[in-house]
Amino acid sequence: MGDVARSSPPDAVDPSSAEAEANQTVELGRRAVRLARFYHGKFETVPSVPVRSLEDFAVWYTPGIAAVSEEIRQEPELSFDLTGRWNTIAIVTDGSRVLGLGDIGPEAAMPVMEGKALLFRTLGGVNAVPLPLAVSSPEELVETVLHLAPAFGGINLEDIASPKCFHILEELARRLPIPVWHDDQLGTAAATVAGLLNALKLTDRSLGEVRTVLLGAGAANLVTARLLVALGHDPHRLTVVDHKGILDADREDLDELMLRNRWKYKLALQTLGGGRRGSLSDALVDADVLVAASTPDPNTVKPEMVRSMRARPIVFALANPVPEIWPTTAREAGAAIVATGRGDFPNQVNNSLVFPAVFRGVLDARASRIPDEIVLAAAKELARHAAERGLTPEHLLPTMEEREVFPFVAAAVATEAVRLGIARRKLSHEEFLAQARERMSRPAALSKALTDAGLIHPMPDEPREGVE
Amino acid sequence: MTHPGGSSAASHGAEDRIRLRPARREDLPHLVPLLLRLKRLNEEFDPLLKVRADAEERAQAVLEADLENPQSVLLAAEGSGADHGKLVGIVRATVRERPFYTPEKEGVILDIYLLPLYRRHGVGEYLLEETTRRLAERGAGIVTAEFPTQNEIAARFYAKRGFRPITALHARTL
Repeated sequence: MGDVARSSPPDAVDPSSAEAEANQTVELGRRAVRLARFYHGKFETVPSVPVRSLEDFAVWYTPGIAAVSEEIRQEPELSFDLTGRWNTIAIVTDGSRVLGLGDIGPEAAMPVMEGKALLFRTLGGVNAVPLPLAVSSPEELVETVLHLAPAFGGINLEDIASPKCFHILEELARRLPIPVWHDDQLGTAAATVAGLLNALKLTDRSLGEVRTVLLGAGAANLVTARLLVALGHDPHRLTVVDHKGILDADREDLDELMLRNRWKYKLALQTLGGGRRGSLSDALVDADVLVAASTPDPNTVKPEMVRSMRARPIVFALANPVPEIWPTTAREAGAAIVATGRGDFPNQVNNSLVFPAVFRGVLDARASRIPDEIVLAAAKELARHAAERGLTPEHLLPTMEEREVFPFVAAAVATEAVRLGIARRKLSHEEFLAQARERMSRPAALSKALTDAGLIHPMPDEPREGVE
Repeated sequence: MTHPGGSSAASHGAEDRIRLRPARREDLPHLVPLLLRLKRLNEEFDPLLKVRADAEERAQAVLEADLENPQSVLLAAEGSGADHGKLVGIVRATVRERPFYTPEKEGVILDIYLLPLYRRHGVGEYLLEETTRRLAERGAGIVTAEFPTQNEIAARFYAKRGFRPITALHARTL
């Protein structure tokens, strides 16, 4: 009775249920290890062509295949038509910032990359190859990906520490003719912006007038700031706060930032602390919006800080697995709208709403890159769909169950790529939508067929129908 | 305190943002933190440039000596507009003899620091021009700049303005 469980206040978290939460995480971990031992990885390569006998290899392989190679040699762009490149991306990591685990190295990052590939496949119909790399510098990572690019239609950077992730994304986007994406920057920021657009709408605010506080100056919030300003947020009403307090132009560590994190440095000069000095408390007085993407500690944002904000404030507490303030606490302190990163509370800001559809869209349009306009197109489409289903303080964003949204986001992305003149395939919105629907539904059909045929083993720890 | 106007186009916007003038004794309490910021920035580039514990007192003494020394150029950059009167930058330079080479007098730019907010818009260029002019007035026929080897931003700044490396300073601890 999942519905009953959901309708009880989900965020009435007291220490005992936080403990229950922790126990559940431990149990899920045990199960993941058991299943990893059973299945030995999450993927195998499965042909998409008939192979009836070895004779078929005369066309799939030599001698016939040489003619295909010849065509591509004469027109390299054909590698997107005559091979699986059009729908294949690499999930690249150096393992330097994996989940909440930190710098665990490429081997240990592999299960996570496999999981990400499974999401790409299941939600986006994208063939994603997990590629954890043993590299010792950002430059080496960039060079390696440049060498790998001929096999791929796109690159997804994953779990790379900030700020080097900014440098790596910029370099690869500049030097590669295929789209490059870093989910921790762009995916999270796009989902955040989508939720914020609807939160502003619900509370009758306009982006041009609000005062916003961004707590945390990591990959996601630096991009969220950039996107908000691109949408018309006044940078001087934007206050970024990190562990040292408000990021203003006079801060002692600014020179160091100029050298080590020029993205954060630029943001400091652009926002000038939103006209504020001091700590998070100072930043939040009379603010309309808080977007926290910082530390998983429910005492990071205090109730009195929320009370000091403008009436009916918007609070996004996105740290995982524990938000910076529990939703109940935030609402008791006056928050009109609360969003978190978790699926068990309302309003989950989840990058899985974004990346599968973005890649579906850019791959279908064969876009050469993913500029911010595309990220914003995805965010706006997500926001639009949630609004169509009716906005409430508990329904800001589509949930992961609303799968019908994904093809629309993909089509919006592809159409935007065409509008920007960076698409090599220019179809109509309807065509992109139909194509996305078809391509996104294939994995489920395939998976069902294989499972029904017993070719994919049922979960060994679940009772099978009729066997119980 | 009339401002000796720079003639180049690059300095026009700069003069709206800051005003450069010779430092006075009463400026020193405000210049010391700026000089220390620069030295801490240098520390970022190289552990051999680790700032010592008593750097603040030493900075005060060094700046006082600069004020006394006719060969030294010590300039204070004042903010304009809302920041009028606020000290936002420092320049230290001096003229040295070159006993073996010509030109015989070298103007050395020792320290240039501007608060981040006042950078760009040709401000650095303006500082360099003004400093160079004052060094030339003291007889310098060549102008040089000292900065940490690893500071590529400084290297690019000077390279763009016709500077090139002539002497290298190599170090090891004992």
